[in-house]
Formats: sequence, structure tokens, C-alpha cells
Amino acid sequence: MNPLIQGLATIILGVGGCIGYFYASNLLLDKVLYPAKGPNIASNIRRANIIRPWLFIFPALLVLTVYLAYPVVGSAYRSLFNRSGDEFIALGNYVALLESPEFRRSFLNNALWAIFVPVMSVTAGLIAAQLSDTLKWGNIAKSLIFMPMAISFVGASLIWKFVYAVDSDIGLINAVLAGLFGAGPIDVIQIPFWNNFFLMFILVWIQTGFAMVILSAALRGIPEETIEAAILDGANPFQIFFRIKMPQIFSTIVVVWTTITVASLKIFDIVYAMTGGNFGTEILPSYMMSFMFRDDGRATSVALVIMIIVLPVMISNIRQAQKELR
Amino acid sequence: MENIAGKKPALSWAKNVAMATMVLIWVIPTLGLLVSSFRDRDQISATGWWQAMLPVELTARARTGTEATPEGGLYRVEGVIFDDEEAQSYFSGTPGDISAFGIRGAEPTAYPAGTTADLGDGETLTVNADGSYVWITPEEPGNRGQRVYFAAESPPKLTLDNYRTVLSGDNMGRAFLNTLTVAIPATIIPILVAAFAAYSLAWMEFPIRGLLIAGIVGLLVVPIQLALVPVLNLHNEIGVGQSFVGIWLAHTGFGMPLAVYLLRNYMAGLPRDIIECARVDGATDFQIFTKIILPLSLPALASFAIFQFLWTWNDLLVAKVFLPSADEAKVMTVKIADDLLGSRGGDWGILAAAAFVSIAVPLGVFFSLQRFLVRGLLAGSVK
Amino acid sequence: MTYTFRTALFCSSAILAASLACAASADSHLRFPIGEGPFDWAEFQAFADSHDFSGQTLDIAGAGTGRDADLLREIFAYFAEATGAEVKYSGSDSYEQDIVIAVQAGTPPDVALFPQPGLAADLAKQGHLVPLADGARQWYIDNFAAGESWADLASPTGPDGKPHVYGIFNAVDVKSLVWYSPEAFDENGYDIPESMEELKTLTDTMVDDGLTPFCLGLGAGAGTGWPATDWVEDFMLRTQPPEVYDQWVSNEIPFTDPRVVGAIEEYGYFARNDDYVDGGSSAAATIDFRDSPDGLFEFPPKCMMHRQASFIPTFFPDGIVIGEDADFFYFPAYESKDLGRPVLGSGGLATIMQDKPIAHAFLAFLQTSLPHALTAAQGKTLTPHTGVSLDAYANDTGRALAEILLSATTFRFDGSDLMPGEIGTDAFWNAMVEYTTGSLTADEAAATIQARWDSIR
Repeated sequence: MNPLIQGLATIILGVGGCIGYFYASNLLLDKVLYPAKGPNIASNIRRANIIRPWLFIFPALLVLTVYLAYPVVGSAYRSLFNRSGDEFIALGNYVALLESPEFRRSFLNNALWAIFVPVMSVTAGLIAAQLSDTLKWGNIAKSLIFMPMAISFVGASLIWKFVYAVDSDIGLINAVLAGLFGAGPIDVIQIPFWNNFFLMFILVWIQTGFAMVILSAALRGIPEETIEAAILDGANPFQIFFRIKMPQIFSTIVVVWTTITVASLKIFDIVYAMTGGNFGTEILPSYMMSFMFRDDGRATSVALVIMIIVLPVMISNIRQAQKELR
Repeated sequence: MENIAGKKPALSWAKNVAMATMVLIWVIPTLGLLVSSFRDRDQISATGWWQAMLPVELTARARTGTEATPEGGLYRVEGVIFDDEEAQSYFSGTPGDISAFGIRGAEPTAYPAGTTADLGDGETLTVNADGSYVWITPEEPGNRGQRVYFAAESPPKLTLDNYRTVLSGDNMGRAFLNTLTVAIPATIIPILVAAFAAYSLAWMEFPIRGLLIAGIVGLLVVPIQLALVPVLNLHNEIGVGQSFVGIWLAHTGFGMPLAVYLLRNYMAGLPRDIIECARVDGATDFQIFTKIILPLSLPALASFAIFQFLWTWNDLLVAKVFLPSADEAKVMTVKIADDLLGSRGGDWGILAAAAFVSIAVPLGVFFSLQRFLVRGLLAGSVK
Repeated sequence: MTYTFRTALFCSSAILAASLACAASADSHLRFPIGEGPFDWAEFQAFADSHDFSGQTLDIAGAGTGRDADLLREIFAYFAEATGAEVKYSGSDSYEQDIVIAVQAGTPPDVALFPQPGLAADLAKQGHLVPLADGARQWYIDNFAAGESWADLASPTGPDGKPHVYGIFNAVDVKSLVWYSPEAFDENGYDIPESMEELKTLTDTMVDDGLTPFCLGLGAGAGTGWPATDWVEDFMLRTQPPEVYDQWVSNEIPFTDPRVVGAIEEYGYFARNDDYVDGGSSAAATIDFRDSPDGLFEFPPKCMMHRQASFIPTFFPDGIVIGEDADFFYFPAYESKDLGRPVLGSGGLATIMQDKPIAHAFLAFLQTSLPHALTAAQGKTLTPHTGVSLDAYANDTGRALAEILLSATTFRFDGSDLMPGEIGTDAFWNAMVEYTTGSLTADEAAATIQARWDSIR
């Protein structure tokens, strides 16, 4: 079948199915099971209202359970078994990981990504937001800085190959080096340790726009009076920014920070396309790929380590959500 | 703010410069790819894209003719070097002046144009800037002329050929359709499902609501790599296997935590009075949701839609695992990473054009829906 | 080439409109018209008469992309012509991962073309491949030069613990080759080296003349590093007897054995000398192997020689004429070591993954001489099929290649292709990249690979 027609059919089926489910289940509840009439009207309405939230939330819970919760539990279990899955080896896979220098390197690199990318993206985003809000052409600047958000990681990697290429007739960095300083070509992708930062910068380039847009909106949400009061008190622009504005948008910064941290841990495409994990740029997701489907025990244990890195972020997020509820 | 900037013109100037620098750093890499996508392979490897509008100096090779006229015991061959077919093949348009020539590949520019090269044994070769040459040889030339290497300028050339190649060949059109087929359902289905869940979590009272919210926020940070193996096995067992249905379900699942999180935050921020009033008037939750909540949440829905669309459009990992590796099921990211990067490793122009084809749709979506994004995200994440 | 290539272009654009009409039009554009040329058309006709799969589709997956894929499709077109079936071929640069994922997902292709028999052996052991009918072993013995050894290579251990013939080698390459530009050699007065000693002397002469001897590129996406493993294998065969090579491939002697480390260091003699390699040894790690030969054809040339398998002309720049602009010589052996003329080769193994009649028919098609003759005629790969006449080869270069294959005193299959997937398609590759760039010594690289091998036992 033509994929376009198939796609259209599925959109209609899927969307129709969703709407149908919600509509029909409500109808069933209200008209058949606990109709809001007759002798038991009060208890019927009460019962219906106890059940209804579960009708609403059921599909979401189902996919969350199947696609995220079950894999987490299942992986944790699987990671305690050997390569072929028939022998229980307790923490054997984790011990093997700790002993592997490749794993240690990937772990450190991943930790670097999880720290450097959010720090740089949020800082650059904040600067861009602050600057663009005071300039006439700020909106154009914002659009241009946001643009990389719409570019795939593979596309972004291609774009950056034109910057990082060794050949000074292709790579911009080497062209600038050769043109301004007459320096010989350097392969930034192979500089030990620092090559990681050149790869990370690609993600910073993508995520800064996201940080900028949200932070700029938050900055605009700050009441004018507080700033005017500070100006009257003789505060300079830097004091205003750090003492007045920063505290007010702190919760937004945390949200942006979390989102970008999560994104930087999920990243796989940039390393895959730029270096294939060579030259000491391996990160856990790409390290995991070399085990996937060959040694599931090892692969799942790597995945769980990725989760452990995210654990602090996860806990703080849950705390935040609990606080909001109260 | 403006009065501060106005008071200090130096600061304002510095701001403009800083902003401009940042915008340049952000735009230049993309610009490089865009320019390169209009150049051909030879031009790209000869000069940088920033010199695209300048002529390129190419080193080419050719052979002289063999029609000799005897001249005092020697043979004289004359002609124009650009008449040689091989010489022509190097240049995209009318070649410019020859700057230098040579007779060995190792030193293709040993002699400036217009000078005479001594080939030994009384044999000489002169090549002029306009391409005319004189070859004097003591032996009658056989059926092969003298080898000549030369450097000449090739005029700048921008072409749409790369786009033509990408769009017509290599199944790219199919990949484009596949990406659409993946991205659209994988955007709409999670929104619908998440909207209902978000409403119940925001406005309906039930026992373990707090626990569920915490759980969903926790799942926000689960790396999807973790889920690939078990979910693929599950799909396999229920007969979905690697298919479009499978990838729709997978994207729905993986996008669900962010969708519920964003939409719940937004819906929880809607004015309580409206919903209470509706309840008093006897509206059911289903009616409140469809008639009041959905229209009011449009910005948040749209912003999540943009996010999910960008994410599914640009995804490589999920597509590699949940779609068959057969050509007719490849999406554009997989096509570029596994096929073009491989088979056309050095053909930067083609790669660039392919990248722009894949970028075009998300860019269009982004620019047309940008204002929703800002409004929706702001409302969803900022209290 | 152009003719069918155009058809392919047309097909892909028209596929939305009318895929059936397209399949029909492709048939009339077969590259080598039926009934002409040095091909056994009677055998083809007999096959066509006994097999009819009209309206059915055969899915084939392999590692070849771009031009490689087009050449494969040219050959598959004859199967389509004979049976009326539609053949869909999909290539991927990360085939090694994709095929394993497809197996896991339960949606493997009907037929898989494995560039590495090692990976096929992994899958065969897990029971994901369908063994061929009983006569296959005899077919190898009857039709292939050194048929026994080819049959052994195609017979990994099945899930029952016994070896079965699982596939047919459809594309064989000779790897022990050095490509060069004859004109550049002439102009500089260089002779073809007849021994490794001479090659080393020639290399130094080139450096003295201000030239760069070798172009080396290890880049290949997810497969980055494999070209280096070929060098090491070639040096194993040139420094040790073939028996030691076999023991190394099966890990009876470990990677850390001094004889193996010695072969790695022999590779390092060339690859880790910045004077010998264009751009220096660290550049080799990022240059794509498909782009690396381009340096031979620039003025001034970026390098004079390129050690690569017989398939590399596919990736030469447009307009390069094999035999005129580019030629090859045998990667010579040490005169002093008396190990004969060892030749390293590799081959793609076509196997059945879905137990369908059409898949079995395709393997039966591969057991006729036509596909083997076609691949020779395309000038892409060689064949040990003795039923293919030397006339079938596209040019003298192809015939010369076939003669290298036949004149070998020792023929050994690409060792990394025979090792378990995690070694041959992962650990070995990565370690060689690190060795080439100098971040690991030969001993360290060997130890890394051996550690991985120990961990999978």
C-alpha cells in the first residue's frame, strides 16, 4: 500500500480510535453503568466520578507502563544475567563495566556532556535573551539563534563537518587558522580530551535557542516596578541582572536546565555521525550500541548507569512536583 | 531597560556588537552548508564555500595533438590545449588564463605560462596563457601527444544539480514521505492521549494522583536507549515487529512524559472559576474537557506539537530500531546517515543538499508556528 | 552502467505512481542483453523455465550502498527477469547493526548478503539462518576453485552443533593489492616492486623525491577502522605461515602473541610514519576510505600508492580509466621469508533468512554461473567460479586480478571477517584506529582486543 495513504488511514484510525475510546467509555459510564437518574442518582454520580479519572488517564498510563516503566524494571532485572540470559550473575555485568577502561572513559565523557552542555546552553541562552530583549532587531536575532532547534542531529553533524574539516579548503576553523595565523591544519576531532568539547558545542548550538526563548519569556514576565525601583536606588545594569532578575527567574532556569540535561544524556546521533565513538569521544549511549543485541546483559547495565547519572535530576524533579501539589 | 541603554551609548553599542557576534557564530555554519549545497564536488574541494563567488584555480592535465609539421630536422606541433577533451572535462565553464604548466604530475606548475620548458634532447614545449602551445620534438610523434599539466582558473559556478540528484535519485523522495508518515501520527496521537491524562491529573480528585504525577515526572528522564531492547522484543511478540505502527507506538510512549508534564502544568494554571462554574451548571467532565479545557490549552498543545514533530522528524535512533532497514522504509535521517554518508562520503555537495532537504520541513513548521511555541512553553513551565 | 542507472533513477521517482509498470520496463533494460556475450544463457533459460514467482517480492539486504547497490541491483534484475518476481534490495552503511536489530525484531529480509561470514556464523549458531539443501557442498567442490575451502567458509556451526552450508559466496575480492597511477610511476622512473623489501626501498625513494608514498583512509562510518585490519592480516600472511594465521583467526593463539603484535607493528611501519602517509597518520583515521584513493589522481599527486582491495575502483573519481589512469600490483611478500605468494581475499555470503521458496530459488540462482559471470563482467568483484570464462571480465585489469587469485600459493580469507562479530566488526576496528593515531601501542591495542575476546567466551 502507498505509505501516504497508509499514513493517512492510520492518522484517521488512530485519532478516531482515541476520540472514540474517550467518548464511548464516558458514554458507557454515564448512561449504562451508573446513569445519573433513578433511585440511586447520588451514589451513581459519586461512583462515576471515582471511575472517570481512570478512564481519562488509562491510555497514558498504559503506554507509560509499557514503553518506559516496564523497560526500566525489565532492564534492571536483565542486567543481572549473563550474555545469553540464562545464568544469574548478580552484579557481574556492573563489575565488568567498572573494570573496562572504555566504559570509564564513556562514563566520564557522558558526565562531561551532562554538565557542560546545560551550563553553556543556559548561559548563552540567558545572554542572548537579555541582549535581544533590549535591541530593535532582537526578534530577528532570536529566530536565527533558535533555528538550529529545527535541524536534525545528523544534519547538524554535517553542518559542523564543514567547520571542523581538516582540509583548510573545506573546514572553516582551519581556513581561519591558515588565513590569519598561517598555522598548519589541526584535526579538532582528534585533539585528545578537547575533541569532546567540540562535539558538545554542536549540542550547545542546538539547545541555546530553546533556553533563550524560554528565559526571554521569563525575563519579560518580571514586573517592571521591581526593576524601576532598583534603578532609582542606583543599581547598575549588572546588579539588576544578577540581584533582581536572576532570583526571579530561577525556577524557570531549573526547568530549562533539567530539559537540556535530559537531552544531553539521550544524545547519540552527534557522536555516531561525527566520530563513530573513536578518538576517545565514546559516550554511554554509543558505547551501549556496541553491545546491543549481542550482549543484552551488558547493554542493559550500561543503560541503567545512564539512569543513575540522571538520578539527582529525577529526584529534584519529583520533589518539585510534590511541592507544587501541596 | 531602554532608558539605561539610552544613557550609556557605549553599552548599547557593545550590546549590538555582542548580539551580532553571537548571531554570526550561530548562523555561519548553516550558511556554509547552504552555499556548499549549490556547488559541485570539484569546486568544494578546491576552495572554501566562503570563496564560492570567486573563480577556482584548478590543476588539469591534457595531451597535445600529434599533427606535426617537419621543421629543420625537428617536428613542430601547434594547437590550443583546451581543445583536448580531457582538459575540457575539468572545467565547468570557459576556462580562464593559464597561469603555469608542467610536464610531470609531481610538478604540474613548474613553468609560468608563456615560458618554454626544456624536455631534454632538443625537445621543448611552450604553453601560453591563452592555451596555445608549441611542442618541438626531434622524433616524429606517434599516436600520443605530449602530456601537459597546467593550472587555470575555472569560473565560479552555482548549480541546482545536487538538489536534482538528491530529490530524484537514491529513493530520497520515498524517505521524505516516510518521515512524514512517521512524524504526523507520532505527533497527534500522543497529544490526544496526554491531554486527557493531563486534565485528569490537573482537575480531577482521585487517590494516588500525587504519586502518579511524581512517577510521570520521574519517567521524563528515562533514557530511551533503555527501552529499545525490551520494547522491540515486546513488539515482536505481539506481532507488530519493525513497522510504522511500531514506531508510532514507540514515539507515543517516549514522548508521553513530556507531553503530560507540559500539558498538566498548563491546565493546572487555568482559572479555577471557569471550571467550577461549568461544574455547577451540570457539565460533565467530558464536556468541560472538550468545550472549555481543549480550546483554552491550544497554545500548550501547539507548542508540544512542535516539539514532538521536530523530535520525531529529526530522530535517528528510534527509527533505526523500530523501522525495517529496507530501503522503502527508511526515513530521511537514516537515509542520510547510513546511505548518503556512506556511498557519497566525499560528495559534500550532495550531502549538503540532502541535509537541506531534510531541514526544510521542520524549519517551515518552526517559523510558521514559532509564536505558539513561546506562548505555550512559557505557560507550561513558568508559574 | 549509465543505462541501468538511469532506469534505477526513473524507478525510484516513479515508484509512487506505478511500481509495476516500472518493474516491467526495467526488464527490457538489462545491462547485458540476454543471448549475447560470454555468458551461459542456456543455463539461465533452464533456470527461468523451472522457476516462476510472478507477483512475488524478494527482499534482500546488504551492506552495499550507492554505486555498489546499483551494481547489485543489475545482477538481481536477471533473477527478476527469469522468475517474474520483484527484487527489492536495501543497503546500509551500518548493516552489521541493522541486520542484528532486524533479527531481534523478527523482521529479517528474505535473503541477507553478509560482507562478513563471521557475523553470519553468529546468526547461524542462534538459528536465524536457513541451511541450504544437501547438494550445496558438492556444488562448491564442483564449481569453485579450491571448492572445499570455500565450502568450509560457508559452513558455520548451526544451532544443532553441526556445520551446514548456509550460503553462497556471490562476490569475491582480492585484498592484497596496491593501486597506483602508471603515468606517475613512469614520470618518476619507478618500477613495480617485486618483494616487500623492494616496496620498502621504493617507499623511501619516494620520500627522498619529495613525494608521499601512501594514501590511507580508515573512515567508514560505524565501520571505521576496517581498512587497517586488512593490512594487519596481509602482514600476518607475509610474516607467518598460514597455519599461524588460522590459529590467530580462531584465537588459538591470542592477539597478544608476539607474532600477531609483530604483524600489527609491520602495519605501523607504514601507517604510523608521517612521511609515508598523506596528511600524516592521524589524518588517516578521519579520511573516509572511499575518498582516500582520490589523492592518486590529483596534480601534484597527494600520494603514489594505495593499498586496497579489488573493489576500490568503484570509488575512484569519475572519468578514471582502469588500466590507463590507474592500475594495481600485487602487495608483495618478503623475499627473505620464503612464504610464497600469499593472497588475502574476502567475499560476501548470500544466505537465506526466511524459509520461503523464493529465497531458496534465489540461492539456486546463485548456484548458476550467470550471476558470477555478471559480477566479473561488471568489473566490480571476482569469482572463483570455474565456469566463468576469463573473457567475461570487463577488462584486462579484471583478468589480471583473477590471475592473482589463481596464482596464489596461499589463499586466506579476511581474518576479521571470520572472527566473532564483536571482535571482527568492533573491537579489532576500534583498536586499530587507536593504534594508527598513536594513542595505543601495538601491545596495548592487542591487549584491548584480547580482553574483549576473553569477555565473550
